[in-house]
Amino acid sequence: MKDLLKKLVEAFGPAGNESRIRDVIRKEVEGLVDEVTVDAMGNLIAIRRGQGPRVMIAAHMDEIGVIVTHIDDEGFVRFSNMGGISPFMLIGQRVIFDNGTIGAFGMEKLDDMKDLKLNKMFIDIGAKDGASAKEKVSIGDIGAFHREAHFQGDRVIAKSLDNRAGCAVLVQALKELAGREIPNQVYAVFTVQEELGLRGAKTAAYGINPDVGFAVDVTGTGDTPEAPTMAVKLGEGPTIKVKDRVVLTHPRVRRFMTETAEKNGIPYQLEILEGGGTDTGPIHLTREGVPSGAISVPTRYIHTPSEMADMNDMKNAVKLFVAILEAKLDEAIL
Amino acid sequence: MATIGLAEFLSSIISEPGASGHEDKVAAVVQKGMSGLFDEARTDALGNLIMLKRGIGRAPHPRVMLAAHMDEIGLMVTKIEDQGCLRVTQIGGIDRRILPGLEVVVHGRRRLPGVVGAKPPHVQDPGEREKSVKWEDLYVDVGLTGDEARELVRVGDIITFAQTPIELQGRFMAGKTMDDRAGVGVLFECLRILRDMRHHADVYCVATVQEEVGVRGAITGAYGIVPDVGIAIDVGFGDQSSVPEYETISMDKGPGIAISPAVHPAVFERLKTIARELEIAHQTDPSPHPGGTDAFAIQVTRGGIPTGLVSIPLRYMHTAVETVCLTDVERAGRLLAEFIVRLDKKYVEGLKCF
Repeated sequence: MKDLLKKLVEAFGPAGNESRIRDVIRKEVEGLVDEVTVDAMGNLIAIRRGQGPRVMIAAHMDEIGVIVTHIDDEGFVRFSNMGGISPFMLIGQRVIFDNGTIGAFGMEKLDDMKDLKLNKMFIDIGAKDGASAKEKVSIGDIGAFHREAHFQGDRVIAKSLDNRAGCAVLVQALKELAGREIPNQVYAVFTVQEELGLRGAKTAAYGINPDVGFAVDVTGTGDTPEAPTMAVKLGEGPTIKVKDRVVLTHPRVRRFMTETAEKNGIPYQLEILEGGGTDTGPIHLTREGVPSGAISVPTRYIHTPSEMADMNDMKNAVKLFVAILEAKLDEAIL
Repeated sequence: MATIGLAEFLSSIISEPGASGHEDKVAAVVQKGMSGLFDEARTDALGNLIMLKRGIGRAPHPRVMLAAHMDEIGLMVTKIEDQGCLRVTQIGGIDRRILPGLEVVVHGRRRLPGVVGAKPPHVQDPGEREKSVKWEDLYVDVGLTGDEARELVRVGDIITFAQTPIELQGRFMAGKTMDDRAGVGVLFECLRILRDMRHHADVYCVATVQEEVGVRGAITGAYGIVPDVGIAIDVGFGDQSSVPEYETISMDKGPGIAISPAVHPAVFERLKTIARELEIAHQTDPSPHPGGTDAFAIQVTRGGIPTGLVSIPLRYMHTAVETVCLTDVERAGRLLAEFIVRLDKKYVEGLKCF
């Protein structure tokens, strides 16, 4: 699973520009399912047909990034954020654009670091002047963090574990289910533009019209020094979501998920994510409503280029999804 | 057949827990209390309780949806500390200042009475009394040690206010969750009146879920019903000391009829006209913010739905002693019943022509 994860986290795919990561995932899932399609928004949908209720599982494949807003005569590039980005974690980082151009983040002179805002920062691609900068980047170009993944014991440090960790879990679950009979029809959706407001999952769920929905994403932890109160730790198992900003998990779905984990001896934690939401939000409000839940991979330093997660949590998330999809979901939930 | 009166009905439903996303218990009590007043009931995937009273006469019948949310604000356990105190977060918008000293119920493996802890004034640092307690310093105490608490309580368990109904003077009633169970009381009143009236329209009375966390239930409820006209019944800021007059509507002066971006002008006019002609006390309630009630969720459903909003004046919103005047609830019920008996094909088609 490490190789798969490395491939996924290092792929380029900021929100709205998911074509490279989509191609990487498409190669992984082709052959595992009956059909692979892409909808009008760019969501990649891997379908396992058959009998039983339609289950949608969403893992967003976009990552946070920056968008070029202005290029000055000296060749410095001003930018805005695509998704939640703190200016403080940009200092010293590198950005890469679709054409391979790499830039460093710089900042204006400030009397007080508290005044650091994105509009006090710029990207320096090493251009001699505005004209040569414009040969490399244009207004509207979107960049992503440039970082390789690093594995250390069970832990991984990488950019875009949010949410390539979820993509890896979903791909791996499809791999393990390949060739096995299951009592559900599976729509594995690698969604776009989650970081901009859960956009891809909304249209995908409308199109699929699922009976049950799940998302797989990352969640925060409370296990670092002076962390906010959160009863989630790295390495203690994937989390079963109870609540975040956009969903209160259907009590019946949550009970089914915890019971499935317990029955199969899979460690899990219960998750209340105070800030942020996930694709479960739009899925559960689709059409007449869809009972929905989520599994998350505990991750430290989310929305930085150095997110950290534990491989065992991902492996257990795969086990939990496999167990869920092998259950008769119409009897268990509907 | 519902034989209980409004006070008894309201009292029974506000006594039930029903934090957003966990409304099954209150839904059962609402359905039981309103039994006999509707022809059929169903619960949708999110938990909305949809009670249909059919119209008479030749089909197709105009479809009207009345929505009042039955969920309530509450707390949720986020962590169980070793000394047994339960760390919490909010479900819906909670004013932290009202929490210390409050009686609550923790819905663990069984119902546990609890209290929200507070630091004695004697041992507070200077200036501490002037500030409200931060979420990370708030906790619920059920009287157990950490190990004992972990046997009975889990992360994600719901906590609701323990307040029992209080009958004040002048037909005022106080309690938790009058926002918006008073609106559910309006559904009850409306259907009680319609029982003795002839109406052509099919009436979908919906006790919606998850309004307090972003009008979620009304989104899926309206999608499934596809009404010709939808009316949300919610609460408005009742006049109270220290709140400017222009922010409020008066208690015991009738329901507010809202004019708002979420309201169709012709629905507003029709409600006003009926109230005026029948001399039902009412107030105009300008609500410039479009997002806060089920009316907005209904309005933007599918291709768009003409929507109205009726508000019950309520004091002390989002506390455990939300106060309404029962007469206002009755007036709103009558206004909506009179609106419904006048609904016909011509009117609902006219709503689509500007």
